[in-house]
Amino acid sequence: MTVTPAVVEEEPTKKGLSFKLPLDETEMGLIAGIVAAIVVVFTGLPAVIKGIALILAFLWGMDSVRKTSKYGLGTGVPSIGVLATGFGVVGALVGLALAKYGSIEGVAYPAVLVGVILMGVIGLVAGILSNHEKVIAMKIPKLERAMMELGMAGTLIILLECSIVTGSLNFNAVVNQVLNTGLIALMFIFTCFGLLHPYNACLGPDENRERTRMCSVEIVGLLCALLGFVMIILSSFSWELGSIASVTISSPWKLWNGVSLLIFGLAVWAYFFRMFIKACMDEAYETVGTGMIKTIE
Amino acid sequence: MGLIVVLLFAWMLVIAFLAFLACTFEDLESDIGSQSNPNSQVQLAAQIGQVNRFFNKAISGEPLSNAMYCATAGTIAWLLLLKLEPLVPGEEWKAAVLAIPIGVAVAAAINIIFSMSSHCGRTAAQKRFEQPIYLDVLYGHLLPIATHAFMTTFFITCIAYIQCNLGTLSGNPALNHPFALPLLGFIWGITVGAIGSSTGDVHYGAEREFQDRPFGEGKRVVYHGKITRYAGCGVRTQRDIAGFCAKFGGPITGMTFGLIILFENWRSLVGMQLGGYLPNLAASAGNSAVTWAIVMGLIIVIALAVVNYVFVRWVRKKCGPFVGV
Amino acid sequence: MEPILIILCVVAGGLLASLGAHLLPVGGAPAAMGTATGIATGTVQIMLGAAMTGLFTAASAATFTDSLLLVALSGAIGATVMMCVVMLMANILYTFGCGIVPVSGRVDVDPLTKEPQAPYKTPQTDGHGVPNCVYVSGMLGGFVGGFGGALMYFALLNYADFSAGTAAIGALAIFVPNAIIAAYNIRGTIEGFHDPKFKRLPFAMVTSLVISLLCGIMVVIASYLTVGGTM
Repeated sequence: MTVTPAVVEEEPTKKGLSFKLPLDETEMGLIAGIVAAIVVVFTGLPAVIKGIALILAFLWGMDSVRKTSKYGLGTGVPSIGVLATGFGVVGALVGLALAKYGSIEGVAYPAVLVGVILMGVIGLVAGILSNHEKVIAMKIPKLERAMMELGMAGTLIILLECSIVTGSLNFNAVVNQVLNTGLIALMFIFTCFGLLHPYNACLGPDENRERTRMCSVEIVGLLCALLGFVMIILSSFSWELGSIASVTISSPWKLWNGVSLLIFGLAVWAYFFRMFIKACMDEAYETVGTGMIKTIE
Repeated sequence: MGLIVVLLFAWMLVIAFLAFLACTFEDLESDIGSQSNPNSQVQLAAQIGQVNRFFNKAISGEPLSNAMYCATAGTIAWLLLLKLEPLVPGEEWKAAVLAIPIGVAVAAAINIIFSMSSHCGRTAAQKRFEQPIYLDVLYGHLLPIATHAFMTTFFITCIAYIQCNLGTLSGNPALNHPFALPLLGFIWGITVGAIGSSTGDVHYGAEREFQDRPFGEGKRVVYHGKITRYAGCGVRTQRDIAGFCAKFGGPITGMTFGLIILFENWRSLVGMQLGGYLPNLAASAGNSAVTWAIVMGLIIVIALAVVNYVFVRWVRKKCGPFVGV
Repeated sequence: MEPILIILCVVAGGLLASLGAHLLPVGGAPAAMGTATGIATGTVQIMLGAAMTGLFTAASAATFTDSLLLVALSGAIGATVMMCVVMLMANILYTFGCGIVPVSGRVDVDPLTKEPQAPYKTPQTDGHGVPNCVYVSGMLGGFVGGFGGALMYFALLNYADFSAGTAAIGALAIFVPNAIIAAYNIRGTIEGFHDPKFKRLPFAMVTSLVISLLCGIMVVIASYLTVGGTM
């Protein structure tokens, strides 16, 4: 359990190392939602584009986590990120089941968005119940909207990750390559961390949104690198998975997508990690090589 | 008893031993970085003016962070196994010897990244309390944290690998666990973290951080945040804490996880044996095997409850009512 | 594919997860300082740990039996064993590591064993350790939570015809929001069934009911649309 600070006004950062995406939370949500929805429908796009959409979706989710957790949840920041991921997995299952309707095999699956919308509805219901005075009475402003956004962002993120690894949103392909192989465990936990870690790591009275966002992008970079590695290995394989299914995949397209995603992920991670640590060191009270602690009494 | 049964019991004991080691290191890892519950004190200390040289490793709770390391290690190891196993047909374990350490090393690297980002982020957010970032504290702790996490993740990945291939290793592939390696790593990561967080933190949080307060009482709310900033000689950093907790808190935590794994697997196996499921895997005996396992589990649960009852009574008699002020 | 059974099992599982989370004695960060009674971790974390242990055993059991009750009971016993060992070891650590006597802070007399609690308590704390009534509550919580998790796993595996991996992650995904909503309802620490906060249980149950019902419908849709595929 962590101590959550009182809500403070955001101050502009002092040094040049800032991550300028001059968007407030609503604009960010709209842009990220639309871009991620378009990318998730067209699965034929290169993996790097999906990676960019993934970054936007994570930034959106992170904003929702941040504005909810600012008021103190009672059990720490991580719970809300896990909640979003749990919703996301259920939504993704439904979206994938619906995907075959109106789809162009391997190119576009517009019906998956129904899963996203349904999950938004469930999130909204959960938010209303949690915030309602007569039910759980969490008394967090705009919790309803945040939970709805978290459900939608979580679903979009899981769907994007599935689409990156399999290259399509065909239910059977996803089940064979993602769910039965256990890759979903990696996706589940990294989605949790991408959503909860930025705000959890930057928590404190002098937290600011720009720094938190850098941390978010950095983690998505890491996730992209891992997914790229997964794609490279899975690009040329035919294996028997116990008694479950026999899967054969072989595609040079996937190999090159994997390599490009790995490079993209590592580059994004390296750039933003350096930027984040530098920003922290600049904006901390002071950064010293070593030193004694302040004596009290 | 056939060879399969003996081998199953042998592998179960190996798993329990690995579990003991895994959770011991897990507890020490979280103590070095002040992760999980005692972190609230490190976070609070600066706010009440107690500037300190502790490492603020706030990577969510331990269950999630350990699930992340173990799921990552499991995924990488599983991917490498896919590549390597065809190279050594008939002797697949040779592939595991290479694949598991590489996967675990990647997980340890990810641990370093997350530790660094959370320490810097949290300290920077405490600017108004004049808490500086000490670079020697930052760099000096990363390696001890990563090595302990490496051990934990390594043992958990080994457990997941053994359980994933339990049937193959002991002679009948039908006994393999239905979950894939990354998913098993994820499950045991969550469990090892939940245990490390719920048991081991007490020794560090209640005892080591407040060593200047009276022994034998709960730490009163007025003491909160006043962590011990000085060691026997010099300023205390988090590295001193592993040595202290390794004497009692770590092993007890390890024993907790070891016992859980031992009881869980033992009762399943004994149930299979009593129900007549082993060694031929007679499908008709499935129900009776599970029933026996449940009965064994109930006996274990009742025994533990009785032990706790007797223990609490003994402690109350031995220590007596609170006498301080 | 039996839609009614799926929805029933998922709703029951969600409600049991919520009830289990309320029964678990959770002390959070204060418990790690010996300032509160219960297990020194958060509600969601210990609930997940217990349910995952149960799920592991239930998944093994589900490979050689197709009885709903036996699989769910396997999961329940697995989670209970986990909770029992954790609470016993936490007591040993409190006693020998920090010299603290297990005592409840919310009641003056243990409701089960009638032992006095108040004289043993450190002033200005909210109890410490895991005394007997709290232990029993924790056992029940583990049992109920594990039962709920395994029930959902079984429904997803056999009624919705998902594969083992899909069923596990699906059960986890529905279990998690329920446990978290319960944690929000508890707000911090709770000792068990004798705690005054336990009276807040109906609020969480209503929320859990609605969320699990919606999630159950989602699972039915997913299962219905993909029936006949290689699940």
